[in-house]
Amino acid sequence: MTDSASIHHDDEETRQLERTWASPPGFFAWFTHVNQTNIGMRFIVTGFIFFILGVILALLMRLQLAVPENDFMDPETYNQVFSMHGITMMFLFAIPVMEGFAVYIIPLMLGTRDMTFPRLNAFGYYIYLIAGVMMYAALLLRIAPDAGWFSYPPLAGASFSPGLGLDFYTTVVTFMEISALVAAIELIATIFKCKVPGMSLNRMPIFVWAVLVMSFMIVFALPPLVIASLMLALDRMAGMHFFTAASGDPILWQHLFWFFGHPEVYIIFIPALGMVSSIIITFTQRPIFGYIPIVLSIVAIGFIGFGLWVHHMFTAGLPQLGSNFFTASSAMIAIPSGVQIFCWIATLWGSKPKLATPLLHVLGFFLIFIIGGLSGVMVASVPFDMQAHDTYFVVAHFHYVLIGGAVFPLLGGLYYWYPKFTGRMMSERLGKVAFWVTFAGFNLTFFPMHKLGLEGMPRRVYTYLDGLGWNEANLFISISSAVFTLGLMLTLVNVLISLKRGNIAGDNPWNADTLEWATSSPPPSYNFRHIRTVDSRYPLWSGTGGLEQNPVVTGIRSDRREILLTSILESHPEARQPLPGPSPWPFWLAVATAITFAGLMAHLAIPLLGFVLCFIAITGWVWPKRLGVAK
Amino acid sequence: MTLHADIDASKLPDYSYDFRSPLWWGIVGLMTVEGTVVATLIASFFYLQGNHTAWPPAGTSPPELLLPTLSTVVLLVSMVPVYLTDKAFKRGDPKPLAWMPLISIALALVFLGIKAYEYASHVDFRWDTHAYGSVVWLMIGFHSAHVIAVIFKTLVIVYLARRRYFTPEKRIAVTVNGLYWYFVAAAWIPLYMTIYLGSRIWS
Repeated sequence: MTDSASIHHDDEETRQLERTWASPPGFFAWFTHVNQTNIGMRFIVTGFIFFILGVILALLMRLQLAVPENDFMDPETYNQVFSMHGITMMFLFAIPVMEGFAVYIIPLMLGTRDMTFPRLNAFGYYIYLIAGVMMYAALLLRIAPDAGWFSYPPLAGASFSPGLGLDFYTTVVTFMEISALVAAIELIATIFKCKVPGMSLNRMPIFVWAVLVMSFMIVFALPPLVIASLMLALDRMAGMHFFTAASGDPILWQHLFWFFGHPEVYIIFIPALGMVSSIIITFTQRPIFGYIPIVLSIVAIGFIGFGLWVHHMFTAGLPQLGSNFFTASSAMIAIPSGVQIFCWIATLWGSKPKLATPLLHVLGFFLIFIIGGLSGVMVASVPFDMQAHDTYFVVAHFHYVLIGGAVFPLLGGLYYWYPKFTGRMMSERLGKVAFWVTFAGFNLTFFPMHKLGLEGMPRRVYTYLDGLGWNEANLFISISSAVFTLGLMLTLVNVLISLKRGNIAGDNPWNADTLEWATSSPPPSYNFRHIRTVDSRYPLWSGTGGLEQNPVVTGIRSDRREILLTSILESHPEARQPLPGPSPWPFWLAVATAITFAGLMAHLAIPLLGFVLCFIAITGWVWPKRLGVAK
Repeated sequence: MTLHADIDASKLPDYSYDFRSPLWWGIVGLMTVEGTVVATLIASFFYLQGNHTAWPPAGTSPPELLLPTLSTVVLLVSMVPVYLTDKAFKRGDPKPLAWMPLISIALALVFLGIKAYEYASHVDFRWDTHAYGSVVWLMIGFHSAHVIAVIFKTLVIVYLARRRYFTPEKRIAVTVNGLYWYFVAAAWIPLYMTIYLGSRIWS
């Protein structure tokens, strides 16, 4: 052992690391990149581009609804627009962007050089990109799905929705979810095996815990959706009878869809909770109050989140006892959520928090999410839900929960980690203006929808009659939605101008506590020059000299991509793991997968061809570079 | 700047086995995902049964037991050579890897052959006849695709073994392929019980 021997920065080794971990330049080489920072950033940027597209669709809807009996859009177009708005925000924005943050930040927080399966990471991205482009190509051709983001049969079945729209939905949704599944498996393996020595489970940052729970939820929640959308595809294309009224059961689709759909809300929301904890710790400059209760609450939400799905189906005519059970479990989820909020308040209490933009977004999240939670308790009760079902009250509720619970923390996280991503700070002044405009615009847009819903205005209807008393509220909402959009655009402008003009950030501009701030901004392709050990939950704050005093790990090779593996619970060093480098095969496998599923639309035999192509791509992927090296 | 070193990773191995390896966790993750798919299919089977007075629906005879039971035994036996190969490799004997998995592949092909014969000539319903036909054919299709996939995967392993690719340090690839073989064979048990026993008990 070289205990307490001193080592110096070795420039030659740094250059060696740069050569080993570099992503090759050039357009075609772009499709071979596998580094986690590259892929994570692609997920984030692509996710926000789809967010912008989803916002544009929302504005088109508000334009249509601004005045009664408007003929700006015909009903068919409106149906495609609201369906694509939901599909975009849930499938193409929320899950991928949360995964993007996780993929980018988690290895940095764990102190490792990359994730365990870098090529799988790249594969997940291409699957997502191909699926998103296909959906928007369908919208431009006016053949997008038009039965809502949850596509209930029999409306979504072959007899009531002929044509390609729902075929796009069934096939693309089926394979798009592979992207989230592979990312989840990879995040679990990385969190289990790649923590730096000393980062035992009870010292993991809360954001890492949140991503771990999110990943487990994805593993159990998404397969039912994959198989359900495949069944719907087979109903439509092969004349099968899963959800037809003739022999199958449309309610089965609702069960399978919401068994995915409700955990999905928490899949989006739980990483956002992790972001909130990170931001609160940093801006109060103190350890979190109640680390263990917060972690247990996150785990509890992960479990209870699977027991709520029927509350989306109270009006489907299910047995009374079942409804009672799901009312109780829906109310129960408020307990772990409440525990976390009280722990955050206790952390903030008496501290002198720095009211920077990330923390402002967290405070905005508190208010909005609590309102959304309260209307959630209301719709959890069956008699009230019967009244409010399919009205704008529900639209108001879930936008308060989803935008409040996920988008506001996400924007806070964007302001918080932007310096790490780019090396520059976003403008605080513009950021604060953007926050207040966004916050006001959001509430002015969605709060009046509660009232419209209670007055009976149904959702998903392309227009409404004059003289129902809804005119003023609708016009007000449409104008407010422009204010909301303006706030989001200010943040976008802030992101773009800060790329060139922002102040130089330095390694740790916020004096934060977790390991991603212990490397340069943006991080080098190998993440960390030295792999450090940690001895507390707040490694950058502990001791007198902070992390600088902690021992480092030597002996990880720099002439090939290699990471350190540690044990799951205690993070004892166990082995080194060589990693694969750039490869075009993840891209080709994604193309082959898309052919397998989307080909179903054209002819039932194309999936067989796709199966063979997938096999060729997988073999190419795993094929060793050199054969016969064994002695 | 002076840094202190206390862990010398160059002394650690650059390979890992079993649950110490990320690949092991990766394959467990994949099996969990596919196991959830199997559970969803079975839940759908019994959910759809609730809508029918007879299951299989009137006009469709309950499945025969002899052929599928025989093929199930064949598939379960196919796990044995995979297990023995992995065990020999753990002892440091790589020779069985070059031929023993071929026995498993042959048994899996027998399984697929019996299935093909059974569904080509022994069942009196199609996938588009009724809900029962849909869910049974989907289960069979889903599982058969996995058997074919694991056969291909094992062929690649055997080919690489014959090219002497597998040193003892690379054992994890063999272990993981074995685990997936066990999964494909074991996932058939609940599917078999659902399709063949479930249809008879409540019919």
